[in-house]
Amino acid sequence: MVALVAIVAVLLIVISAVQTLKIAELWAINKGKVIYEVTEKQNKTQALLMLVFLVAYFAFFAWQVWKWGDLMLPVSASEHGVVTDRLLNITYAFIIPVFVITHIFLFWFAFKYAYNPNRKAAFFSHSNKLELLWTIVPSIALTVLILFGLSSWNEIMTPVDSEKEHVLIEVQAQQFSWNARYAGTDGKLGRAGVEFIEGVNAMGIDIEDKNAKDDKVVRGEIHLPVGVPVQFVFRSIDVIHSAYMPHFRAQMNCVPGVKTQFNFVPTITTEEMRKITNNEEFNYVLLCNKICGAAHYNMQMDIIVESKEDYEKWLAEQKQFAEN
Amino acid sequence: MTSITLNNNDYKKEIKQKTAKPLLWIGLMSIVMFFAGLTSAVIVSKGTAVWETIHIPFAFAISTVFILLSSLTFYLAERSIKNNELAKAKVFVLSTLVLGLLFTVTQYLAWTDLYTNGVVWAGSESSAAGSYFYALTALHLLHLLGGLISLLVVSFKSIKEKYNAENLLGVQLSSTYWHFLTALWVYLYLFLIFIA
Amino acid sequence: MSATHHHHEEQDFLFKYIFSQDHKMISKQFLITGFLMGFIGMVMSTLFRLQLGFPGESFWIIDFLLGSWAENGVMAPDKYLALVTMHGTIMVFFLLTAGLSGTFSNLLIPLQIGARDMASGFLNMLSYWFFFVSSVIMLISLGVEGGAASAGWTIYPPLSALPQAIPGSGLGMTLWLISMAIFIASSLLGSLNYIVTILNLRTKGMTMTRMPLTIWAFLVTAILGVLSFPVLLSAALLLIFDRSFGTSFYLSDIYIGGQVLEHSGGSPILFEHLFWFLGHPEVYIVLLPALGITSEIVSTMSRKPIFGYRAMITSILAIAFLSVIVWGHHMFVTGMNPFLGAVFTFTTLLIAIPSAVKVFNYLTTLWKGNIIFSPAMLFSVGLVSTFISGGVTGLILGDSALDINVHDTYFVVGHFHIVMGLSAVFGMYAGVYHWFPKMFGKMMNNTIGYFHFWITIVTTYGIFFPMHFLGLAGVPRRYYTNSEFPLFDNMIDINEFITWCAIIAAFGQLLFAFNFLYSIFRGPKSSKNPWRANSLEWTTPVEHIHGNWPGEIPEVHRWPYDYSKVDENDNYVSGEDFIPQVVPLGPNEKDGGH
Repeated sequence: MVALVAIVAVLLIVISAVQTLKIAELWAINKGKVIYEVTEKQNKTQALLMLVFLVAYFAFFAWQVWKWGDLMLPVSASEHGVVTDRLLNITYAFIIPVFVITHIFLFWFAFKYAYNPNRKAAFFSHSNKLELLWTIVPSIALTVLILFGLSSWNEIMTPVDSEKEHVLIEVQAQQFSWNARYAGTDGKLGRAGVEFIEGVNAMGIDIEDKNAKDDKVVRGEIHLPVGVPVQFVFRSIDVIHSAYMPHFRAQMNCVPGVKTQFNFVPTITTEEMRKITNNEEFNYVLLCNKICGAAHYNMQMDIIVESKEDYEKWLAEQKQFAEN
Repeated sequence: MTSITLNNNDYKKEIKQKTAKPLLWIGLMSIVMFFAGLTSAVIVSKGTAVWETIHIPFAFAISTVFILLSSLTFYLAERSIKNNELAKAKVFVLSTLVLGLLFTVTQYLAWTDLYTNGVVWAGSESSAAGSYFYALTALHLLHLLGGLISLLVVSFKSIKEKYNAENLLGVQLSSTYWHFLTALWVYLYLFLIFIA
Repeated sequence: MSATHHHHEEQDFLFKYIFSQDHKMISKQFLITGFLMGFIGMVMSTLFRLQLGFPGESFWIIDFLLGSWAENGVMAPDKYLALVTMHGTIMVFFLLTAGLSGTFSNLLIPLQIGARDMASGFLNMLSYWFFFVSSVIMLISLGVEGGAASAGWTIYPPLSALPQAIPGSGLGMTLWLISMAIFIASSLLGSLNYIVTILNLRTKGMTMTRMPLTIWAFLVTAILGVLSFPVLLSAALLLIFDRSFGTSFYLSDIYIGGQVLEHSGGSPILFEHLFWFLGHPEVYIVLLPALGITSEIVSTMSRKPIFGYRAMITSILAIAFLSVIVWGHHMFVTGMNPFLGAVFTFTTLLIAIPSAVKVFNYLTTLWKGNIIFSPAMLFSVGLVSTFISGGVTGLILGDSALDINVHDTYFVVGHFHIVMGLSAVFGMYAGVYHWFPKMFGKMMNNTIGYFHFWITIVTTYGIFFPMHFLGLAGVPRRYYTNSEFPLFDNMIDINEFITWCAIIAAFGQLLFAFNFLYSIFRGPKSSKNPWRANSLEWTTPVEHIHGNWPGEIPEVHRWPYDYSKVDENDNYVSGEDFIPQVVPLGPNEKDGGH
């Protein structure tokens, strides 16, 4: 019944629209000078709207920054993140002026050069100088961005030197949860594979491997010491996931059959970040950022950054794999 | 006015003469990209996984000889038609067809050889290397089946002496495709020997 | 007698409207099928926007349209993913590849280069019917057991390979793959025809550098299609083998549903390489025709030659060339070799240069013009705006170091919807408004067109601009709801705002649908050359005839952009502000933009 009423209503609307339009068209036939199928009046209105839109668009941009600007991620909690945030700001300093200036040109020209019967358009079809100018200027700007970008990229992607003090953590993704294990006192992760998965051994660690005995599997959350490089190794046992830690500006896919890695140095403890964000409940999170199935939207693990002493205390409480 | 509308047969023929070959060539380009995609997949896979070396069946060598010979006979057939030697052309076209069928048979023999040596296409016993072996050769053969169908048409038409020095577009198209398949096979064969 | 007459008419109908080999009819078939698919894709997006803006709330319309996918009017999480996947697939391939390129390449190539039809009308007809069949299969897949494909439009395995991982990877995914294989065949047949027609069937005097920029864009698009679609086909075939025959091209070390799978030795990353080798050029397959259409309209409606014709061609070619060597920028965080990542960053950012050249050339074309604001012109100006707004954020995403933190967030969604989605849709609308008289012999209503444009540009910016903020706040894409993370609690305002804009935008498109249908049947008759344009299509009669020109195909004597050309005394050379391509050059006149 509802559907029927809806259909009838839509039909009535369409019919009346058709009739209105027909009348409007008949009425408009002798109205105003028509240039290229557009009346002069229409043309003027549209030209003016171009200008209105320009202002409105910039106002909308400013309004969003004002309203939502402080919802953005807080200051980076990792060493490299500070560098990439700076790079991001440099890129903004380049693209926002480009965006603003080209839009001013676009809509200002559209307004200013709207049709005028007393004027002729300029037959201006090319200029090598101008074309060269706007090939070279973007090229120079891009060279700067590329050089800066690549040097930070290379630094971020270089794994932690295994001789140096660091924490080695393996993160394993599965539908729809995260598992993690610490390398233990020997600093080495034992062998693991899907064929070893059984019962409580959800990470598929090989019991026979001597490197595995002191590994520590943790649940629910991972703890990181502030100021110490953390080397992550990622695995997945079913589909592709992506380990995304937005506050550390860190992300790496977890691919079945392949080990991937990422490293960063945490610089701000959870406590400090709670103060910065003015939020007593704040926690760093690890979330999944590659479509992985129905509950993709709820695949998370908390990350606690704390002082080195607190971290070591916490780690000592965790059971070694061999104890299970 | 009628002489220039589309429904005129002369006009249609003229367009066909003008565009059939370029259409085929660009079609071939897309087939090249198809196999380029597959063979680069082999290279990527080889770089990331454990790679099993596979003994290449001797039958593949024989099929290489067959397909090379078939290209030669097709070339000769085309030349005979150009010289209006239609009887000769028939012999060459039919021998191309026979050689093409022999190629198909030797491909099948090569697969049975692979299979008896424990290289399987799918399942738990399979390896990516083996699967690629079957996939590449089978997809080539699939394209060759198209070539064989066109060859059947050409054979039929040349038996009925439909082609001559002025009218040989069909033969040219079919032979271009056939030579392409030969080249593709040689490429795949060398690829399988040296890369995979 | 009457029986045979009737029979004859029936046959006429069948060959004129259904199995037509006339490029003009095929173009209309592509347009209408593409719009229908686009409409379905738009409705899907509105539905999942409802879920995102008002998570967990029950809606009558969701219940009505989705039925078993949405219990009590709230869609299930995996069906949300199915909708997202199908929206992406339909919009990228069915609306913006076949609908856009298929429509305008078919309509304009023979008309603008002076040919009676495509190189092969038969292949052209096949191309449409393959497209039609693939559309039907894609729609059928919505109704099968387990639901439609749900692994995202990029269908990365193992998610797309394993029905255990998500129900949509069962029969729905199989149909998706079959549909796409047929779609690829359609696209290849179309591209073959476009390339050969442009290269071989140009009329006398139509040299390559006298071709309108639309034709250049279609040519380069078709070449990209021929180079990249076969690679997608090979990727899809290997996926089909993995799914249906148990091979291990993409699968390895998988434990799912309580058991270890037999697959070993495959690499999911391989699929990403093969997919994006198509996927990135695909972005330009979508975008270039829109840019070509805009070039033509901006010049015609500014009554001014396009600025830097040769630079425009060079930048199209440069963009196309670069587009096949940048696919790795979709894979910066897959653990790829960092050196490779650096190379891809470099090639990716290079694309900004030809893109910037195009933008500045558009701006200079407007400068000192005499602009007529037809709805087509409005959409073209809108395209330049979206191309800039979406393009600049590409510099952030293309930079591997910055991509780490915004990869797969809403920042990406905002970026590509503006730069590719909106630009291409605006280009398509511009094309329809501009060439509607050529397609249907009628004029569309300007006033409704104006409303349509302003509603569309305002609301679509309202949808996609705030997404950048979501992305910078770390909100991942393809999340059914953000309510599971306290971190994202404050984002609900933004999402609600976006959803409202999406609803208004969707209703705004109904204005267009109404205008389009109304004008086909009741619109005022158009004159032969309503926009007073130079290119050849406007020399053909308003009523369509098979073969396009009743007499000889006209000869071409000049480039298509002689607008407002004046002599030494500042009088128009031809007495009017345009000189069609068929007018011979005067004694002292130089051709082209020299």
